[in-house]
Amino acid sequence: MPVVDVDPDELRRLTGTERDDETLKSDLFALGLEFEGETDDGAFRLEFAPDRLDRLSVEGIARSLRYQYGTDRGVHVPDCTDAEWTIEVDDSVPDERPYVTGAVVRGLDLGEAELESVIQLQEKLHATMGRGRAKGAIGVHDLTMLKPAGPDKRVVYRGIDPEGDTFVPLDDDAERTPAAVLETHPVGETYGDLVAGLERYPAIYDDIGLFSFPPVINGRRTEVEAGSRDLLVEMTGTDQWTVDRMLAIVCYALDARGGQLEAVTVEYDDRELRRPDLSTTTKTVSHERIERTLGVDIAGEDVVDLLERSGLDAERSDGDDDDGADEPDLEAVPSHATRTAGTTEAETEADTGDEGDADDLAYDVEIPAYRVDVRHPADVVDDVGRAYGFNDLEPRYPDVSTVGGRNERSRLEDAARDALVGLGFEDLLNFHLTGETELFDRMGLSPDNDAVGAREPATITEPYSEAYTVVRTWALPSLLLVLENNTHRAYPQDLAEIGLVAGVDETEPTNVAEDRSVAGVVARTDASYEDAKGRLQAVARAFDARLETPPTDHPSFIDGRTAAVVLDGESVGVVGELHPRVLVDHDLEVPVAGFEFRLDGLR
Amino acid sequence: MRLPDTQVALLEAASATETKTVAQLADELGEDPAAVTRAAFELKEEGLLDVEEHVAEEVALTEEGDRYRDEGLPERRLYEAALEVGADERPAPIGRLVGAADLDGEAVDIALTNLARKGLGEIDDGAVLVDPDAGDDPEAEALSAVAEGSTGYLDSGVLDRLESRGLLERTETTVRSVTLSDDGVTVLMEGVEAAETVGQVTPELLTSGEWADVEFADYNVEADAGTVAGGREHILRRTANRVKDVLVGMGFREMEGPHADAEFWINDCLFMPQDHPARTHWDQFGLEVPPMESVPEDLLERVEDAHRNGVGEDGDGYHSPWTPEVAKQVDLRGHTTSLSMRHLSGFAAGELEPPQRYFSVEKVYRNDTLDPTHLLEFFQIEGWVMAEELSVRDLMGTFTEFYEQFGITDLEFKPHYNPYTEPSFELFGEHPETGELIEIGNSGIFREEVLSPLGVDGDVMAWGLALERLLMLMYGFEDIRDVHGTLCDLELLRNVEVVH
Repeated sequence: MPVVDVDPDELRRLTGTERDDETLKSDLFALGLEFEGETDDGAFRLEFAPDRLDRLSVEGIARSLRYQYGTDRGVHVPDCTDAEWTIEVDDSVPDERPYVTGAVVRGLDLGEAELESVIQLQEKLHATMGRGRAKGAIGVHDLTMLKPAGPDKRVVYRGIDPEGDTFVPLDDDAERTPAAVLETHPVGETYGDLVAGLERYPAIYDDIGLFSFPPVINGRRTEVEAGSRDLLVEMTGTDQWTVDRMLAIVCYALDARGGQLEAVTVEYDDRELRRPDLSTTTKTVSHERIERTLGVDIAGEDVVDLLERSGLDAERSDGDDDDGADEPDLEAVPSHATRTAGTTEAETEADTGDEGDADDLAYDVEIPAYRVDVRHPADVVDDVGRAYGFNDLEPRYPDVSTVGGRNERSRLEDAARDALVGLGFEDLLNFHLTGETELFDRMGLSPDNDAVGAREPATITEPYSEAYTVVRTWALPSLLLVLENNTHRAYPQDLAEIGLVAGVDETEPTNVAEDRSVAGVVARTDASYEDAKGRLQAVARAFDARLETPPTDHPSFIDGRTAAVVLDGESVGVVGELHPRVLVDHDLEVPVAGFEFRLDGLR
Repeated sequence: MRLPDTQVALLEAASATETKTVAQLADELGEDPAAVTRAAFELKEEGLLDVEEHVAEEVALTEEGDRYRDEGLPERRLYEAALEVGADERPAPIGRLVGAADLDGEAVDIALTNLARKGLGEIDDGAVLVDPDAGDDPEAEALSAVAEGSTGYLDSGVLDRLESRGLLERTETTVRSVTLSDDGVTVLMEGVEAAETVGQVTPELLTSGEWADVEFADYNVEADAGTVAGGREHILRRTANRVKDVLVGMGFREMEGPHADAEFWINDCLFMPQDHPARTHWDQFGLEVPPMESVPEDLLERVEDAHRNGVGEDGDGYHSPWTPEVAKQVDLRGHTTSLSMRHLSGFAAGELEPPQRYFSVEKVYRNDTLDPTHLLEFFQIEGWVMAEELSVRDLMGTFTEFYEQFGITDLEFKPHYNPYTEPSFELFGEHPETGELIEIGNSGIFREEVLSPLGVDGDVMAWGLALERLLMLMYGFEDIRDVHGTLCDLELLRNVEVVH
């Protein structure tokens, strides 16, 4: 989940409140922003779910608080003057990164703190919506350091040969080619993969030359510093909607800092866009849906109020009727106490209203461009609920009747486990993930053997650690590991486990065969084949299964003291005395007898 | 009078005039001192014997003390070496004396400190001048005396000094001594005989009828018996079954399904965009097997459509890439919501009409960092309710009921975000022991983008929770690795308290 660092004084100033730190924290918690501690500079570290990306900066959080406090209501769309500058998209732009957007912001007065906040917003947007700059990358430049070409103040987004030009990157002092940046510059290491393999690298030019190498690094020439007043914000990416919305979030933040937005013309080969796109979208939400989801009756005017307090605008949806003047007053469409049974308030209100309209009542809700999380009317309902206060709702047990029950496999597993525990086995629960060394090498087994446990394991593509690379093909190795890790504990150690084992099997729909395996070991100074077999017999008897144990061989067991486990005529496992080679490898100084068989043998 | 063997022997060995210690008597009788002590107290109960207790101090040399007894105290050795070279008249440099006395390491410091302390000589400017008339050394003499066991006449100040130098140890023991009481003398005069005692009840004893004529030897019934380990169901399994019991009681049916599954069921059905950060290999385990082809085509198309275009007139999709190849890739499931998707779609158990309640308590796999509260695999409690109409209040009511069964009350519902539910809530509850507010689950009402492609008619609410979290709450474990996995501690599993 994203974390943003926010200076509480800055937040108070932008919000226009005097509330103390503790009150702020609790107000923020109500918004879903959790206080995770303070930075060395005393800033709040706030963590939140990655939906409201407009809250990735202090400006956005202040905006949310102003709505929460009722200081602001409804949608605000920042003023944006006509375009002077143009971003031209050249044919040479790499196909892998075809989209660009941009805006000019003038009249800012950026101090160190404001600058830091802009940089934080940029980095946080990269990490979230920008998918690590792959999907969208932001470049912010000092406008006065740019020299656009021609009367329509052109900068050009194009593709260039990786060795085709040079510039001085940020935090550097030498002219380098884009290819050289990837090799020598620290950011090259982090973001180099995003362009590696491209025939042409993305680059943005003004009349002087290359000034930005998205998505890797900007040029030093246009670096923004405290005191920079006019900015060019450009974004490139793999999706127009994504870069436009990232831009909208940045523009709203800079607007809150007193910047004047100025449009930029983005000129593609076949179309021209006026950016930033700060237009609102509309979703129609039915009153019925709101009441149904919240489970309460709620008056129409209250819904509008709640939506406005969420920073949205709402008006009654008029459907086919174009004449808005005829709309009945929302006060006349109150709740009719169907959900909050017995609340007299609602009943009284219901009497005054025109109930006939309530079922068709819907709202056209206007949503500002920074709300990248709203994709369905349900998301608007959620806003209503949050503004209403979910925790004010009274829990009720749903009035629907169903019949519960366990499934057969889980009941069989439990019954078998009970039988093992009754025989004195310590029931264990081991990881399904393990390493091939544990499964095979240390058991003296090879995946190619024709033996219990020998099969091709399901292997993890990019394992986290060498100890956990495959799903176990059998369970006895897990029990031996537990014995190995508990040699300092009292003997006898009689251990058993019923759990998942798996192997690659292309006849299965998932290409992985999954079985439940029953494994047991008896470790004590006098453990022998008979101890294992005796317990196995007891289990088979408990499930009325006919047990036969014809001799077999298995590399993990001693020859001549190993048998197949045949239940009701089907060979389902192995029983025997573990080979001393295996025991010594597990640092064991007592004999161990054991068995493993498929649980479905007991069915 | 008939008495058990040991008591008879002790009574006969004890004297009315001479006090004997238990140790002496045990030695005399060739019996175990513990048995003699026990018999002594039993006879005291009968009033036949008087038992006195006093605390005795034993003094013994430590290893270092023993060594100095052989080699001489370091300061004495230095002193002797100094006398040899005539340092009683002319100061001799320390370096030379140390060599002559064969001292090294900390023995040098010990020698110098104690030399000065005892007034054997003076140290000035790196040289030693000794007093030829220093006389005997009571500490050296005490070492020998302690070793020979004759400490009675030693000055306790000297012993204290040796103890503080770590050269001897004092231990206190309780010595019991017995004398025959007047009643004891009377009884002895009247004559006592040993009763035949029997250690074990045997089949022969029972069948022969001999049992009627014997006396059973007393056991020390208060002593600890040998440890019986026995078998136990694993504590985490037990907790899982308790959860299952509760859910079955609330009308939930158990789901099952594959651990290795197509990303389609794990992620795509859940309206998780294919470029969602949680879908990288950093978070989930892909398997090196061919893709799963048996994903129903029409369902696949409907899910793709929901991702691209959203659901409903006003619905928007994701602006993210989507390919069937990614959807068919086989992973270890990162949550058991894959089972919910299989069931809700009708794929697992046929078409389901509302109302329904389903649950599972099954393993999930996450590419996480192993630490005391995180494992690569853990159990997830997953549950969902399908009805014609469900609200946030129904969700709250269901969870309030469920968590109350585990002593967790006063739930708080923190509005949250999940790609697959709206509204969504993180559940917080009060820790039953510490009273802290802790996160105990994640929940919500499934989005239309999830339900509509699956063909579900009605509302579905769902929640998930790590079983290990519940276990740690219930039992107060601090490191989950002690319990779950091959690093488990058998001792802990054997001894953990049963919670029911």
